[in-house]
Amino acid sequence: MILSPAERSYLYDSLSQKPPIRPGARSDHQFRPLEAKTSFLPNSNGSARIRLNDGSECMISVKSKVVVTKSVTNLIDVDIDVAGFRDDSNFVSNLKYNLTSLLITNFPSQYLKLTSKYSFKLFIDCIVISHSSYPLSLISLATYLALKTTRLPLLVSEVNDEEIEEQPTFSDDWDNAKYLDEAFEPPIFITLGVIGTNLLFDPSIEEEQVLENGLIVSFYKDNVITPISNINLATNSNNSNFKGLNQKLIIESINLCNKYCPAIIKALNTLTEQDDEGDDDHIF
Amino acid sequence: MDVTEVINITKPSRSRGYEDEDDDSDIEMLGNNHNDGEFTNNNSSIVTPGELITEDPIWMKGHGTYFIEDKTYSSVAGNVSRVNRLLSVIPIRGRYQPETGDHIVGRITEVGNKRWKVDIGAKQDAVLMLGSVNLPGGILRRKSETDELQMRNFLKEGDLLNAEVQTIFNNGIASLHTRSLKYGKLRNGMFLKVPSSLIIKSKNHAFDLPGNISCVLGVNGYIWLYKTNLNNQNNNTTNINIHNNGASPAITRLEEESSWEIYSDKNDSNITNAIRSNITRYYNIIKALSFCELGITEPRIIMGYESSLSYMNVGSLIDKDSMETICQEIINNEKMRG
Repeated sequence: MILSPAERSYLYDSLSQKPPIRPGARSDHQFRPLEAKTSFLPNSNGSARIRLNDGSECMISVKSKVVVTKSVTNLIDVDIDVAGFRDDSNFVSNLKYNLTSLLITNFPSQYLKLTSKYSFKLFIDCIVISHSSYPLSLISLATYLALKTTRLPLLVSEVNDEEIEEQPTFSDDWDNAKYLDEAFEPPIFITLGVIGTNLLFDPSIEEEQVLENGLIVSFYKDNVITPISNINLATNSNNSNFKGLNQKLIIESINLCNKYCPAIIKALNTLTEQDDEGDDDHIF
Repeated sequence: MDVTEVINITKPSRSRGYEDEDDDSDIEMLGNNHNDGEFTNNNSSIVTPGELITEDPIWMKGHGTYFIEDKTYSSVAGNVSRVNRLLSVIPIRGRYQPETGDHIVGRITEVGNKRWKVDIGAKQDAVLMLGSVNLPGGILRRKSETDELQMRNFLKEGDLLNAEVQTIFNNGIASLHTRSLKYGKLRNGMFLKVPSSLIIKSKNHAFDLPGNISCVLGVNGYIWLYKTNLNNQNNNTTNINIHNNGASPAITRLEEESSWEIYSDKNDSNITNAIRSNITRYYNIIKALSFCELGITEPRIIMGYESSLSYMNVGSLIDKDSMETICQEIINNEKMRG
């Protein structure tokens, strides 16, 4: 997306005001409204779908498989498919790397442990059907919802199989399936735009074009965690504003995320609870 | 802290309440009078792609239809329209179809040989010939090779302009012109896009709105919101005075006003925060109208602006509920005024 010089300077000036005047009049810490739905794929252990008003949409499916714990390097596998991008493109592999490493390092693997020999392995498949701004936080919020509603079949065989050679067997009744853990809140990514001394949550595509820098902050268990990385959010454009990052802003971004991210987690949790209760089949 | 201040996540919902009451009146009116039993689908004039419209071979097939063995089918989703013996389907959605005389907003995509390519949201990019723009200084002469060489100084890739569709070539490409002072490069504001089907053609597509904001409502669904240029109005009056005194140095305003400034990329230096927030307010209102699939017109934008004034925080206007409330208010308002 290319903006004209006049648009660019207008937008830059508006966003560097204190407080910033964003195109949709959002406040600096306000996300764009989302629509989401969970547990709608009958063949998946967990699924979620999240959509923005502008048509950006992302769908996640979580599937599980019983593996011999020793035979695999990690118990989570993430695959991302972005419409319009090759699977081996930098864009997709960066998204995939970010999400995979965040989940592998922060996922409590004891939830997946079945017996001393066997574990569940989770396959998280993600399709970005359409996107305008950088889709990482959208994907990560959808992953949160999918993991939060992932149900795994109940193990009925013996847990301790060190002496006896036994294959794990599961309850036939899907109603007995268990959530990963009620208290488990998967880690999420938040994208922030840096412009002047302002930090903007969830920048839209127009805003991305004039940002001086971008930050990806990860958040887990009520705290900002590493990695915190910076990125040029304006892909395929002539962003001439891109600059270095003031370290004070990194500290500020951590403070802001610590302040506002609990609200995001809360909103996501409320949604999963609502989806549990209501059995309306509106998925679109 | 309120969660909705940070993020608003809702479940997808299928129906929106107001649709049942007022199912976009603009479309309804076109459709209802065709249901005279000749058509196979006599309960509704809305057809979907592949739907049989009529088996009667007497009809001539127009746009949006195809013909197999004397039967006419629809090739698009839209309303059946019948003019004498010509049967066509007007698509509900779709790309903008340029027509001569349309006031449109476009973005330069390419600078080529004596012409610019302009993205206007149609199937093909439009062309703007070098001969169809004003030269800086308003000099009236044939464009020379020097002009050709400095075409990028006039307009370059990414630049936004408003223009009028001059002609449509037989291959469907639109040719534009900016030979008027109201056309040309756009500055001092913000761009947004809505589906072109929502723009209702009217006499005037550029107007001033309350709050010192002006708007170019391109027929192609590209919209430009900007600060009202007060100088323009003042200049008008002074010019008239000069003319009255008989001491006018210029023959037309064109010569006075179209110096290099008309191709400048610099915004006004005095765009206040109040103006900027007014622009975002209009931005949100137009987005709301488009979300609710209401036709976008000047009176509706103004009504939306008035009813949005009750929202102190303009940022809350991006929520689905507030957008629907605003649209509902606009519809009620229109009903009251008749």
